Amino acid sequence: MKARRVKRPIAAAAIGAGAIGGAITALYLVRRRIGTLRFARGAAAFQLVARGGLRYASSAPRLFAAAGENRQRLRTDLALQTAEDVATTLGAMKGVMMKIGQMASYIDDGLAPSVRRTLSRLQDSVPPMSAELAARVVEEELGLPPERAFATWDPEPIAAASIGQVHRAITLDGRAVAVKVQYPGIAETIAADLGNVSLLRRMLRVTAPSQDVDALIAELRDRVLEELDYRREADNQRLLADYYDGHPTIHIPGIISELSTRRVVTSDLADGARFAELAGWSQQERDLAAETIYRFVFRSLYEVHAFNGDPHPGNYLFHGGGRVTFLDFGLVKHFSPNELRPLMQMARHLCVDNDPEAFRRSMEAAGFLRPDAPLSTETIIEHMAVFYDTIREPGPLTITGDYASAVVRRFFDVRSPVAGYVSVPRSYVILQRINLGLFAVLGELSATADWRAIAEEIWPFVRAPASTPMGEAEAAWQASRPTITESLA
Amino acid sequence: MTADPYAAAADLVARSAAAYVSGVPEDPADDGFFGPASVTWRVSSDLASPIAGLRSLLMQALHPLAMAGVDQHSGWRQDPVGRLAATSAYVTTITFGERAAAEQAAARVRRIHDHVRGVDAVTGRPYAASDPALLLWIHGALVESGIAAAQLFGTPLSAEDSDRYVAEMVVAAELVGVPTALIPSSLAELERYISSVRPELRCTPAAGESMSYLLAPPGLDEDTAEIWADVRDGAVAALPAWARDMYGYHAPEALTPSRRTEIRQALGVLDATFLGEPGVLEARQRTTLRTRAARRP
Repeated sequence: MKARRVKRPIAAAAIGAGAIGGAITALYLVRRRIGTLRFARGAAAFQLVARGGLRYASSAPRLFAAAGENRQRLRTDLALQTAEDVATTLGAMKGVMMKIGQMASYIDDGLAPSVRRTLSRLQDSVPPMSAELAARVVEEELGLPPERAFATWDPEPIAAASIGQVHRAITLDGRAVAVKVQYPGIAETIAADLGNVSLLRRMLRVTAPSQDVDALIAELRDRVLEELDYRREADNQRLLADYYDGHPTIHIPGIISELSTRRVVTSDLADGARFAELAGWSQQERDLAAETIYRFVFRSLYEVHAFNGDPHPGNYLFHGGGRVTFLDFGLVKHFSPNELRPLMQMARHLCVDNDPEAFRRSMEAAGFLRPDAPLSTETIIEHMAVFYDTIREPGPLTITGDYASAVVRRFFDVRSPVAGYVSVPRSYVILQRINLGLFAVLGELSATADWRAIAEEIWPFVRAPASTPMGEAEAAWQASRPTITESLA
Repeated sequence: MTADPYAAAADLVARSAAAYVSGVPEDPADDGFFGPASVTWRVSSDLASPIAGLRSLLMQALHPLAMAGVDQHSGWRQDPVGRLAATSAYVTTITFGERAAAEQAAARVRRIHDHVRGVDAVTGRPYAASDPALLLWIHGALVESGIAAAQLFGTPLSAEDSDRYVAEMVVAAELVGVPTALIPSSLAELERYISSVRPELRCTPAAGESMSYLLAPPGLDEDTAEIWADVRDGAVAALPAWARDMYGYHAPEALTPSRRTEIRQALGVLDATFLGEPGVLEARQRTTLRTRAARRP
């Protein structure tokens, strides 16, 4: 944490989002359209399967790695063969803990080492389904065995996914697709285990000592329950794929609706470099990738009002030139304008208007700060400012891993005089956590950018002109798409 | 008691895990005394096995002479966790180890037993750990607890599999020196045997003290203690009513389906914690693979 203009932390989630945020000016009615800048399904990076033939790239194992990276090697030798095997492996709270671990893996600093180890091992402990078991689920869902529902079906899973696994296939009309298949019975098991709130509370008190555990649990339950129904994931992915259609650097694989159900979701197949491979890329490439991720996260939040709750490094595929494919939309949080407005106002008051009292009032209005806190505004600003450090001043800034960790430490700092008066309202819980994860990813990339300038492009109350070449390409993309905006400010 | 009871309690999982890992061979020369197709392996891998273990200790401690031997010789007060880990290592080696490893472990236990003798202060009776009658009680309590715990909280054994399990386990008693003719080899025989020992059983002060420690290990943090409490309730619920009476434990709350689910969930959390220890997942995978291979026609 030295060298270039290193600041402390970044925004803790809600707060960070607010920072970038700003008024949600736009409720875009998302529509399908054909853009000239289309970075599309036909693009070379994604076109890895020849029509009619099952000739996957030689790098097959890393295809559409969904959430698989670093999470588990696919142990087909240990494959779950029956629904009872699934229950043994993921029943009795273990599936729930695995899901929590997945979310908690972004907040390592908030966890006791033993808990961190346990949660990460749990993720490693889930083997894939046997080919027969997966085929049975597909048949139950699509009404036909996979060999008939698809022109070609690869019985070997290519990746682990959240509570399921991913198979490659080619549709009857020749589209190369990734088919995510859910473990049988898992939804019922997890839903039942999520009912044991007191045990969840015990488990989570360990992970988040300074947080409002009940709010966290309630939010977590809702998100996990949503994730159990793949139709919702398909809806989320469709929404974002449509919104980003034609975007110069952001790509989201399309959903094949007629092959997507509660336990099966089918989307276009994508290929690209994995996060770990970026270590071997130039810093310039890594900066561009980080810029795309940053733009994706905050554009989604402020324009689609949706926040992908799973910014796991395994959910990105990289294509060079800053182009990134985003995968896995099982955990997407949608925000109402009322939920987003306070975040925007906080950012605006602190970073743009430089009005500490107004910042304090907006924090109180959002429920982050108790209105009667016997603290000077100065103290509050001192505590909170670290979360906004990257965007308070213009100029290039490097986000290092240390930097990201420092934000997390501040977030979990129970000794601060302010700690007793701040809390995270339920709607922001996931955002809060995931935002920490986003900056962990950027820190891992040691990404440098003028984050403030990019934020100004996206802040609806600023809407600054493009500050980077990517910003220019994005502006052109935006100009080419019809939008309907509705001011919230 | 140890100076740092919290550390000792935290150590329990780590040391039991290390014991377990060391007992599951990586590249075994043979299937040991049970093998992957055995009911014994299945019972040992059941989610309810911590309850089986706890219940069998509760049962075993009710024999005044067995308890006196442990109390006067094992040093459990100085290192309760170490004592438990040693027992768990032994059981794992016998269950999953190669024949040679199991025989070695059993020979070691027999050597130690040779020196464990004395007089029980409560009954005034002399005892020797190598006494087949005591060894048989330890054995019978263990086997019966495996069946009872699976019945209530795990995957219940069929009548046929219960018989098989009791018969398979005969060798475990033989290994520590119980004459074969004395060892129950069916569930009915086991039940008759347990009833026959009942008149000798009672809760001595040593049994009460050691089991209090076990049921509520001092110094556990609040959350772990609550999870442990569920496991403990499961073990107490799985005891025969007469054994609960001897300890003076309250009758457990009714084991409704939802209470059973709660206890299973606590077991799941405990199991996940165990799985987080180094090598446990790999050891489980080794046994799973062998079990799969054995199932194949």
